[in-house]
Amino acid sequence: MREPPQLINRYRWYEIIGIYCGIGVFLTFVLAPFVEGFLVSLKPLSQLFSSPYRFIPENGSFRAYVTMWESVPGFGRYIFNSFFISTIVTAVVLCMVVPAAYAFARFEFKGRGTLLGAFLAVNMFSGAVLLIPLFRLMRSLGVLNTYFAMIVPGVAFLIPSAIWLLRTYMMRIPKELDEAAYVDGASHFYTLRRVILPIAMPGITVVAITTFIGSYAQQFIFALTFNAKSEYMPLPVGLFAYFGRQEVVWNELMAASFVGIAPAMIVIFFLQRYLVSGLTAGAVKQ
Amino acid sequence: MGQLYLDKVQKFYGDFEVLKSIGLEVKDGEFVVFVGPSGCGKSTLLRMIAGLDSTSAGDIVIDGVRVNDKPPVQRGIAMVFQSYALYPHMTVFENIAFPLRVEKLPEEKIREKVGAVAKILQLDKRLQQKPGMLSGGQRQRVAIGRAIVREPKIFLFDEPLSNLDAALRADMRIELSKLHRDLKATMIYVTHDQVEAMTMADRIVVLNAGDIAQVGAPLELYHKPQNLFVAGFIGNPKMNFLPVTCEAVDAGGITVSFEGQRITIPVTPRDGIVGKTLTLGIRPEHISLISGDLRITVTPSVIERLGVNTVAYASLSSGEGFCSLLPGSAPIRVDEPMPAGIRAADCHLFDANGIAFERHVDWQKLEMPEVTAA
Repeated sequence: MREPPQLINRYRWYEIIGIYCGIGVFLTFVLAPFVEGFLVSLKPLSQLFSSPYRFIPENGSFRAYVTMWESVPGFGRYIFNSFFISTIVTAVVLCMVVPAAYAFARFEFKGRGTLLGAFLAVNMFSGAVLLIPLFRLMRSLGVLNTYFAMIVPGVAFLIPSAIWLLRTYMMRIPKELDEAAYVDGASHFYTLRRVILPIAMPGITVVAITTFIGSYAQQFIFALTFNAKSEYMPLPVGLFAYFGRQEVVWNELMAASFVGIAPAMIVIFFLQRYLVSGLTAGAVKQ
Repeated sequence: MGQLYLDKVQKFYGDFEVLKSIGLEVKDGEFVVFVGPSGCGKSTLLRMIAGLDSTSAGDIVIDGVRVNDKPPVQRGIAMVFQSYALYPHMTVFENIAFPLRVEKLPEEKIREKVGAVAKILQLDKRLQQKPGMLSGGQRQRVAIGRAIVREPKIFLFDEPLSNLDAALRADMRIELSKLHRDLKATMIYVTHDQVEAMTMADRIVVLNAGDIAQVGAPLELYHKPQNLFVAGFIGNPKMNFLPVTCEAVDAGGITVSFEGQRITIPVTPRDGIVGKTLTLGIRPEHISLISGDLRITVTPSVIERLGVNTVAYASLSSGEGFCSLLPGSAPIRVDEPMPAGIRAADCHLFDANGIAFERHVDWQKLEMPEVTAA
């Protein structure tokens, strides 16, 4: 016999219909563009504007996934650029945020609350608001049209949320562990390296993933403004190459989008192995 | 060597005085227990000795060296935390080896030392496991192992057994006593559990509201509490207090009256107490149904039968609780009056300030608490 569900998890039939309708509505909005994009990438260009429009492609093929490399020869480079910029941004953010979050989580110092508040306030500005001042700054530093111009603002705008995220995680690590290490003669850095870092690994992974995704997403605006060289262009800007003079090669554009996301997906898939929950089990008795 | 000397140690949090000028000397190899109710400052005092909390005033001296400004590792102390504080990502071996790795000892030396400690604590077979796979008692042993391995002069224990269940706590108590005998090290142990204090300590330091209420051997505290606080704190169920009036004073003791009855208690009197109200203390286990120099009648409202003895809770006319601990299954019933006899020799007497009059007993000759004839 099947175990009846917990009392709190029992619903009336109309409640169940309501729940699934809600899920359905939101999933449609989230997933429909992906489905449609994928279907478009399978269709020959001529069919895209046929009337009546048909969602399911006739004699669909993966040809666009081959021809996209030919019509925009630099596309591989764009993917690399995106990947490269995001990786560097993530690495730099982690290097700065891990010690900072540890300090914010553990030490009492003057202006800690103010500083944390300021970080949150910075987060409220989108990078777009500050584009013009940033542009002037970059120009006077002479770093326009370099990777540097795309990496540094990316890092700057991603640090605040990363600190908040990781600080919260580190505050959950029992303070006794630090104290025990201190009593045993360990310095703050030794404690951070040997005790806190390994335990905070799931938190650091979450920060790494969000930073990587965030960097992937925000590249567009910085790259568009601070970079004019096509060899440094990241993927979102590179996709514009499929916008021809006369026509937009929609099927190749869609194919390129899917191919472009792939590296990020692979990285995230790789990182999520470290999202082990319950790593602190057995540290202290709660 | 592990001598500890506290000289007028004080601690303030803002304007609030947490510890009031604590003075204490702990001899080498002694097992001293700090005991007191929650918030009395016992953990703070231990953390100050460890070097985890700063000292507002006064000196902490270990082996003749003032250590106020030294980090814990240079003080020669090791600490066992209430919550174990094990490193969850390291094996038992690495947990115990942690202090040695910090010291950067060579690998073979570490293996040797950790192996020796694991043997003492019966952790040999667990060395490659992680703390998450161990039981509470084993985790506590790992935490103790991490303290032992550094061979400190003084061990500090911060309520190490309070997270264990009752049976395991009793076992660990015995193990800790054995460990103390084997290592011959100075141990300072904080607890709120008076059974732990009574069973393990060479000397007990009773703390109350940031001040030392009394320092003494366990049985000394039991037989000769210096004040009302210690009298009420040591002993379970706690001592009963009756308001009495001082009638007369002579060399044999102080004669007091309670509800018209007079009783002469063999204590050393002080001047100017005749006619004053004093407090008579009598432990529940010293109350007899049959005999006594002072006999009162109480009506128990709750009776607990534990087999080996019976606990009866009643109220006095003054509103104070009155508890009796009677041997075996006593012939008493709820809401039926019962006689309660009190022997004068068992009584404690305190003045209006709660300071005890010294009892005429030699606690060192009393190996066990006197068993009252039923």
